[in-house]
Parts: sequence; C-alpha cells; structure tokens
Amino acid sequence: MKRWLVIATGALLLISFGAFTQGDELLQKALQEGKVVFYANITAVEPIMEAFHDKYGVIAEYTRISTAKYLPTVLTEFGAGKLLADVLQAPVPILEILKKQGVLAPYTSPVAGAYPEWTMDPDGIIQIFGIEYVGIIYNKDVLSPDEVPTRYQDLADPKWYGKIVMPNPTSHATTISWLIGLKEKVFETEEEWWDFLRGLAANKPMFVKSFGPTPGPIETGERPIGISMPKYIITKSPAPLDWARLKQPLLGTPRGIALSSVASHPNAARLFIDYWLSEEAMKLLSTHVGEYVLRRGVYPPIEGIKDATVLPVRTLSEEELEYWAEKFSEIFGG
Amino acid sequence: MKGDMLRPRISPLMLVLILVVGCLTVGPVLMLILGSFSRGIGAFGAFTVEKYIRVYTDPTLHKTLLNTVIFTAGSSLFATALALILAYLNVRTDIPLKGLFHLISIIPMMIPHIVFATSWALLLNPSNGILNLFLREVLGLKKSLFNIYTLGGMIMVEGLLDFPIAYLIIAPAMASFDAALEEAAWVSGGSKFRALQRITLPILRPAILASLALVVVRSLAAFAVPSVIGMPGRVYVLTTYIYRLISLGFMPDYGRAAAAGVSVLVTSTVLVYVYRRLTTRSERYVTISARGYKPAIIGLGRWRYPLSLLTSFLFLILIVIPVLVLLYVSLIPYVMPPSAKAFSMVTLKHWNYVLRDPLSLRALKNSVFLALVGASLGILLSTFVSYIIVREKTVGSALLENLAFFSYSFPGLVIGIGFMWFFVHTPLYATIWALLIGYIATYLPYGIRPLTSAFIQISEDLEEASKVAGAGFLYTFRRVVVPLATPGIVSGWILMASMFLRELSLSAVLSRPGTEVLAVQILRFADDSLWGQVSALGILMIALSTIMATLATLVGRKTAKARRTG
Repeated sequence: MKRWLVIATGALLLISFGAFTQGDELLQKALQEGKVVFYANITAVEPIMEAFHDKYGVIAEYTRISTAKYLPTVLTEFGAGKLLADVLQAPVPILEILKKQGVLAPYTSPVAGAYPEWTMDPDGIIQIFGIEYVGIIYNKDVLSPDEVPTRYQDLADPKWYGKIVMPNPTSHATTISWLIGLKEKVFETEEEWWDFLRGLAANKPMFVKSFGPTPGPIETGERPIGISMPKYIITKSPAPLDWARLKQPLLGTPRGIALSSVASHPNAARLFIDYWLSEEAMKLLSTHVGEYVLRRGVYPPIEGIKDATVLPVRTLSEEELEYWAEKFSEIFGG
Repeated sequence: MKGDMLRPRISPLMLVLILVVGCLTVGPVLMLILGSFSRGIGAFGAFTVEKYIRVYTDPTLHKTLLNTVIFTAGSSLFATALALILAYLNVRTDIPLKGLFHLISIIPMMIPHIVFATSWALLLNPSNGILNLFLREVLGLKKSLFNIYTLGGMIMVEGLLDFPIAYLIIAPAMASFDAALEEAAWVSGGSKFRALQRITLPILRPAILASLALVVVRSLAAFAVPSVIGMPGRVYVLTTYIYRLISLGFMPDYGRAAAAGVSVLVTSTVLVYVYRRLTTRSERYVTISARGYKPAIIGLGRWRYPLSLLTSFLFLILIVIPVLVLLYVSLIPYVMPPSAKAFSMVTLKHWNYVLRDPLSLRALKNSVFLALVGASLGILLSTFVSYIIVREKTVGSALLENLAFFSYSFPGLVIGIGFMWFFVHTPLYATIWALLIGYIATYLPYGIRPLTSAFIQISEDLEEASKVAGAGFLYTFRRVVVPLATPGIVSGWILMASMFLRELSLSAVLSRPGTEVLAVQILRFADDSLWGQVSALGILMIALSTIMATLATLVGRKTAKARRTG
C-alpha cells in the first residue's frame, strides 16, 4: 500500500513537473516570439490584452473587425499569404467556414476540460467559450418589472405597439438565426411561433441595423423595451437597463476561438488561447463586458442570470438565411 | 490633314497625370468589378453574370431605387440651394455676423455623420425627441410635430451634412466674380434681382453644377443617414440595400454588393459627362481676366436684419444644437432627455476615459498626420489635374476627370474591400501609407471640384501674357495660376483635410494595430453604444478640424495678400 502511494505520488509529481516544464517551455518560446495578433469582434477586451501582457510579458495586439468584414478580411489575407492573425475569435458559423478553408489549425488547450463537453470541436480545432445571449431588455425608469414580459409571446401583446426596438430581421443574420432558434427550441408548435411573429410585426418594432444600436433607444426611453443583449446592462452601466426574467430559455450564437494555421507566432498564440480560456480571463470578460461564458462557475454580474437557461442556436445555411429573410420581409414589411 | 485636326492632342503632363490618377483609382475599382463577375466571394473566380442578374432582377429593387432618386436629388438640391443663398449673402452683401458663415461652412463637415444623424434622431424622433417634446409642451399638442424617420427627415439631415461641400465650391466662385458684369446690368436699368437671375446665376453655372454633381454622388454613397434615420422608418435606399446584401449571411458577397454599386459608378460617370457637356464653352464663364476684378458688395437695406436672423437660425440648427447635444451626451453617464436628474449626474468620466485611452490617443495622432500630409499631397495633385482638365479640352481630359471620380463613386461600404483586395498584393498592406494613398485616391474630387470651377473662371490671356514675357510653364503656373486660384486651393485643402480626419469607409477595413484612426475608434465606441465616448471624441475631432481649417484660411489670405502687395 505504502509502495503504491509512493509510486502514485512520484507519478503525480512527474506529470505536474512535465506539465510545468511544458508550460514553461511554451512561455519561453512565446517570449522569444514577443507578440500575438488577435482578430475578433468583441467589445472592450483591452483589459484581457493588458492582463495577458502583464502576466507573461508577451504583447497581445487586438484587431477588431466587424462581422460583415470578418470573413472577407481573413480570407483575402489568407489567400495572399499575408494573414496577420495568430488567434481568431468569432461567432461559430464564421469559424466553421474558416475551418473548411484551411485557415485554422488544431489545438486543444490544457484548460479546455473546464468547459462543457459540447463546446469542444470533434476535430480539436474550434473551442466554444461563450454564447452571445439575446434577451428582452427594458428601461426600468419607464417600465416596472411586473409590466414586462415573462414569455416571448408577451411581446406580441398590442400594449407594446410602437414601444419595441430590435435588429432588422430582414437583413441581420444573427437575428434571423435567433428567431429560428425560438421556433426550434422554445415554442411548442410552429403555429404558436407564427402567431408570435405576426403579433410582434403588428407592434411595429423600430428596426436598427444590428444588436449594437439596440440599447440606445431603450436607454433614452425612445423605445422602452427591445430585443437586445443583457450584456449591455454591464457595458452601459449606470443606464437604467434590466432584463426581463423569462420563464423560457435565452438563446444566442455560440462564440469560439481557434489557432491560425499560418500563425507567425504559434507559441504565443497557444499561450494566449490558454490564457483566454482561463478562469481569470473569463472572469474579466464576464465582469467587464457582461459576456455569457461557458467556463463552469463563471457568470456575468447580472442579477438573476445564474438561474437562466442559456442555449446555443444552430448555424443556418446561406440558403436558409435568404429564405427566412424573405419570409420575414413579408411579415414585417421589411 | 482632316485626320490630324480630329486627333485629340494629349500633352506629356496629361499622360503622366492619367497614369498617376489611374494607378490610384482604377486598381480597387477593377478588383471590385472583377469580384462582381466572379464566382465565390473573392476578387478572382470563374466568370459569371449571375450576381448582376440576381441584383437587378430583385423585385424590391425598384422601390429602393425610387427612394434613392428622391433622397439624392432632394439632398443635393437642398444642400446646393442653401449654399447658394448663404454664399451670396456672405460674399456679396453687407450682411452682419460674417464670421458665422465661416463656421457654418465647415463645422458640419467635421462632425462624424453617424453622430450628426444620431443627434437629430435624439432631437426629432416622434416618441421622445427633445425638440418634439418641447414643441408639444409649448403648443399643447397631443402628438409630436415632426418625425425624423421619413424620407423628408433623411433629405434634411443628409442635405445639412453635404451643405459644406456645396458651400466650399460655390463660395470661391462667388468670391472670384467680376462685378463689372452685374454693374453693367444695373447701369442698363435692370433690377438687382434681374441681374442676379440673368447674370450672376448663369455665370455660376459651373460651380452650381459641380456642387450638385458632388453632392449627388456623395449622397448616393452615404450610409450613416440611411441606416440611422432611414432604417427605423423602413425607408430603404441603395446603400441600405447593399448593406443587406453583405450583412445577410456570414459569408458576405462583396462581388454582389459591387454589382449593385456599379449602378452608382455608371450614374456618376454619366453625371461627370453631362457636367462637362454643360460647361464645355468655358470661356463663357471667365470672370477673372487681365482687367482687374473685385466683387462689389451689395447693400441689403431693410433686408439686412431679417436675413441675418435667418443665418443665425441656420447657425443654430447646423452647429449649435448638434454640438450642444454632443457636449451634453459627453457629460452625462448615459443618454437621457435633459432633466434635473440628468444635470445632477454630470460627470467627466467619458472625457477621462478618452483622454487616457492609448488607442484613442494614437488614433488622434495618426488622423492628424493623415489629414495634414494627405490633404497637402492631395491638393498638389488636384491642382495639376484640375488645370489640365480645364485647359486641355481633349478626350484625355474627359478620361482624367472620370478617372478622378472612380473610387469616389463607389459606395463606401464596398470600396474599402476593393482597396483591401488591391493593397494585399503590395508591400503597403497594413501600413499607414495604404491609408494615405487610399484617402487621396478616393477623395480626389474634393480637391478637383473647387479647383476646376476656380480655373474655369481664370482667363487664359493671363497665362498667355506670362508666356509671351518669356516665363516657362512651371513659372507661369506658380506665379500666375496658383495665386489666382488660392480660394479654390484653400477650399479644396479644407475639404480634404476634414474628410481625412473623419474618414471611415476605407479605414474600417485597412486600419490595423498601430495605424488606428479617429473614425474607427469612434465606430468601435458606437458599435458598443458608448455614446459618451463617441461624443467626447467627436468634439475633439471638430476642434481639430476647426483649427486646421482656420489655419488654412489664414495662410490662404496671407498668401493672397503677399502676392497682391509683392
């Protein structure tokens, strides 16, 4: 027994030493490379870049590229042999296209185990770390919590006529995917979903181009309620925003991170991905930016969000997006 | 012999300019056109016309096009008419408060369009627009008086935004006006109004047409107003249609967007052609000749004060209100209608953030560099190009003029991608030089238009006299042509510099860590709805542009004075 204990302790020590030297080696190589270039479209992640630099002495450069320009930029650079990014972060549908084009390389981070199993790509390329969760957000100076919806169906109530803001469902891909997500994951019957859509359209929601501008009209009271993102409660604090505690799940597009297959700084890139997925970075992301991250036990500091069920929506094909954009044009008078 | 007469003469200078301007502007547009005929989403792929068929057979397109025509025609007429009235009042009459005109003519151009449009939405939205609430209170109305989210609202805001372009083209033309022509009309018994109608306006025709052409092309390519004001009111124009093409789906097809953009390119090419046809007999517009000139000042008499009230009102809505809204938003923690509560929460946190943010500071430095160096190089090139366009009426000059409009004519949403497709094959990619070259290439018309209308008014006799006296081309150009065109040069420089300071379309695609610029930084904040930071940076942008424009005007005046006395 004693012998087994000694052997087990020895083995454990060896493994951790191995892991330590491996980590140490990665850091040394990363330091030699000096920097890592990160492409993403995510709000205010500068604190993470700085914390990474402070911790490891490796510079993290962040290029923010809007979703509409993300694929053209990455694919153009990749095609010309000039992809500057070492690490790419984007909504999963975009990363899936990049994966097919050979832009991404496999890398399984040693910290990936802290995430649910479904977040790991079977090919070991994309690691999902969060969900861009969508919710019903309202101005609490204008509306009281007992007035606001408890189910998505409530938004179809005529009392919300002229009071709702939302991203344009006839052109914004993420919003279209979200509406289809409701059909597939929330509403019990398709008829119920159609009724909801028709009721929502009859309330003449104000359309903006994407989720970014949705909190503006809610904050000023121009439209006191909207289909928006709970993260704005954090980023726009102290604006009087709150989220409607729905009895149904919240949905959103999953976000992932991956290594570039042509990274100029591959070791710094791995070190960065490890750090990005660490508890420290995920806490920064959820605390500063209000992101819904999938690392177990980390939640944004939004009251009640811990109890919410947040589910990922599936990736819609280009044909499906076009089909539904047209359908929504007919319903919403696009 | 006959063949020789018909063959257009192309001078060596013209050839050099065609090459330079062609290199600058054709590359990105060519890439986009290639992309529009290629399968897939890159610039190169198997040939197809499917993208054109899909765009131009779309049943929703005709309504969009009708809206686009009303929107562009409305805003260009509004901007040009306003510019004509204000330029006339400022340059030709004894109206008081002339300093205001200077500010009115440049400040709106310096406000980022997205911020200007958002300010107007805050003021005039039908739910709780500040002005609407105020009017409801004062007039005891139940419903709001104005709704900004309409085609009319879009025309007003776009017209106001493009008004400085019109003013900076028309005002120099007014300033170079030979009053002897009007005096002749008055002496022969015509009324002042009749002189205005029969003499002044026709002589200003090149400038008016130049202004209309530039504003039409600008508003055709505008995106801020259609997205912030049009989309909430479900009024779609060509650029929001293009936006739909590229935002629908995660694999945006810029080739298809380019196919839609080609119609804008064709429209602007036709406009440039029509403009040239209408101003071919340029000697009709010559007003600066060897006889000496000085625009006479007309007494407004009893109209003096009512008209200055009108100017003050315009000053109020064009500058004071939007800038006050910006200032207000930059000082409150979040956006809310003005109230006791709002004023009790005043804070400097947005300013502190912006002034300590290393990215914003680097963006400020880069943008100032691009504005100063870019506008100076741009105006140098524009001076030669405009001169040749006006003096050599050949096929070459028509080609040159069209080439200069090439990148400018493409909607901003798309042209940035064209430049990326182009620059990625050069060592300039991801450097500040790519931005500099892209800016000059795209906004060349801002330098060329005011200078062309200035050169049209200068008689060739003056240059002939200089040449007869033994001066070479460059000497004549430097000593005779440039000094007479100083008002146009200053206008062009201001237009270019303030455009470069707030340029977004190209920068959003080409800017990288180290080459951040102001507008991209503003867009980052705007994308996250951080309007406090957006407003603080916006005010900094306006302040910087104002300083640059004032310095340019002072240098221009000093140069003109030195030439006159020397």
